[in-house]
Amino acid sequence: MTVELIDNFLQFLFTMAAGIWTGILFYRNGKQAYLLLTCFYATFSLGMFHWTLNILLFSYTPQVFYVSELAWIASFMFLLTLGYTLSTPDERKFQHPAVWLVPIICLPQMILYIIHGDILFNLIICGLTMVQGWYSVRGFFYAGMQSGRQRNMQYFHTAVLCIILLEYCLWTLSCFWISETLTNPYFWVDFLLTAALFALLPAMRKAVEA
Amino acid sequence: MTYIENIFVCIAAPLLVATISMGKKYYSIFMFCIAGMGTCLLSAYINSFFAGVYNADLINATTQIAPVVEEIMKLLPLLFYLLVLEPKPGEIKNAMIIVAAGFATFENICCLTQSGAEQLSFLLIRGFGTGAMHIVCGAIAGYGLMYVWQRSWLKVPGTFGLLCASITYHAVYNLLIAHGSTSRYIAYGLPILTLAAGMTAHRMMKALPHYERGDSSLRSE
Repeated sequence: MTVELIDNFLQFLFTMAAGIWTGILFYRNGKQAYLLLTCFYATFSLGMFHWTLNILLFSYTPQVFYVSELAWIASFMFLLTLGYTLSTPDERKFQHPAVWLVPIICLPQMILYIIHGDILFNLIICGLTMVQGWYSVRGFFYAGMQSGRQRNMQYFHTAVLCIILLEYCLWTLSCFWISETLTNPYFWVDFLLTAALFALLPAMRKAVEA
Repeated sequence: MTYIENIFVCIAAPLLVATISMGKKYYSIFMFCIAGMGTCLLSAYINSFFAGVYNADLINATTQIAPVVEEIMKLLPLLFYLLVLEPKPGEIKNAMIIVAAGFATFENICCLTQSGAEQLSFLLIRGFGTGAMHIVCGAIAGYGLMYVWQRSWLKVPGTFGLLCASITYHAVYNLLIAHGSTSRYIAYGLPILTLAAGMTAHRMMKALPHYERGDSSLRSE
């Protein structure tokens, strides 16, 4: 069993477990945020399952079209919708100069990915993550200005920003592939991403309680 | 060579006559069934076209091209229904499942004409496996659309998300089938298990008091 397979399988297991857990939370209290988070985890884990299965059964990545990427685009779309749902009208009007850091960091990365890979997929996924990053940076500073339980929204935004940052690190590292062993930092970042994805659930629970 | 358009005409003709005879009440059921078969016919052409464009072999075509084309095609009649006729939420789910059933039926008929009908056991497994897979994909989209089309801000991301989910599910099924051996039997059982799990979850959700509430604002809670 290769490191890649173990890494992917772990990510699939963790996101599926988080999805089941969120589904149970939605079943218990019917909050829409939990449903959207369930959809995020479900589509992410489905994409990961397809990818892992492809490597496990055929020992190579898809040759014509990456179906898993569609599932990952869907998952980020659900995450973006969740971020929008959790924001208040006041938060949407709030402006902070730090939000400009998101396109400054992400746009050069996007150009790099387009040079190394598929144009359409990278445009969509980077566009989605940039908008999500923009919302999260704004939400993070807005929540910092609030008092009491409203401040707990910072946990959610921190978790989302961690996921986006790790995703970008991962995509950048995939452009400079070293090896399929643990000497490749790609796998370490992917392990961190698995942890960050799982940490999103307790972070959102804190936010929903706010 | 299989003349699938001739098969389509042969199957759609009595259904069309039945539609006219049965009256307005049953129009939608027959029309969605014919639409499902029609999308299956068109999918076959589009699949062949893309397989030719990308120079894909049989495994790549069935695992990477067919799920995308077929799920998009299945959604098109429903999108037309949603945008033009603005149906009630309950009608969306039924329409999608009938389209999926029509699609699966026509696909099975084409499979029968190509590979013969001698082995009943294989046809039973294939019929229930592939048939159930199309119904599961239809149910993912149908039940999901029933929910997301009630919320204007969720329509676009929700529809796209559901389409991607059904494509990936279909691709996982085709991947297992394409691999053969034991994976094939796992694939045939997968949709039945998913259907059973989905139906159980649906019954459990229905019993909850907040199921029909549809709360849209988190902050107000």
